[in-house]
Amino acid sequence: MPEYTLYTLVAVVVVVAIELLWARTGIFATAQYWIALGIVFFFQVLVDGWLTRLVDPIVLYSPQHFLGVRFPFDIPIEDFGFGFALVTLVIVCWQVAGRRERRA
Amino acid sequence: MRFEYLLLMAACLAVTLPLEFWLRARVYRRPLRLLLAIVPALVVFYVWDAVAIARGHWTYSPAHTTGWLLPGAVPVEEVVFFIVIPICGLLTYEGVGTVLHRRAVRKPAEEGPSPLLPGPPKRKGTVPFHSGADQKGTVPFRSGEGR
Repeated sequence: MPEYTLYTLVAVVVVVAIELLWARTGIFATAQYWIALGIVFFFQVLVDGWLTRLVDPIVLYSPQHFLGVRFPFDIPIEDFGFGFALVTLVIVCWQVAGRRERRA
Repeated sequence: MRFEYLLLMAACLAVTLPLEFWLRARVYRRPLRLLLAIVPALVVFYVWDAVAIARGHWTYSPAHTTGWLLPGAVPVEEVVFFIVIPICGLLTYEGVGTVLHRRAVRKPAEEGPSPLLPGPPKRKGTVPFHSGADQKGTVPFRSGEGR
């Protein structure tokens, strides 16, 4: 498996495990999280599409390190796992920090 | 254009800024909580980026980036990305939360306490619609949240 693909899968699994086994904020059971994630993905397509476009790109991906599937536009599909892991980890930490704040 | 990547990040902040006020996301106004939310991901994704760059997973166009590099040859734009995108994500998350709360408050009798939202305690019975008046416009459900 290409390395970027592997790293992305590991990141997704680790973030989901952090939520389910440690943080337990319950966000996966809320419409708030899934609707927000949908909106984030929509805008990711625009921003990431701009960054990864094949004509005069800003970020250039080495072909041997990802699956080679680019969708939509020229976005390597691994980027969506990357985005999921980043945004989900941040929301989990935001909820945990909020919990502490309320307790204080 | 060397500042293209940075300008794209600035555009992301500009587009999402209204959520802070229009949908009362209150992300920027809770700076400590914001810091605690983004630092862990920033550290993890910075390391991931440095490893990916070292192993040749991706490179950055010198024509569209400043060329300012941080330890691990990570472009300064990437750190900006790992700060800006989480902020945009949180503004979205809290903005959606506000919309769902408003809907839940508007139709309490038909729908009962909203099962859609995490965190705040569920209240029995209806939520008095006008009770926000003495709370300076906050939605009653959120009154327990840190501010």
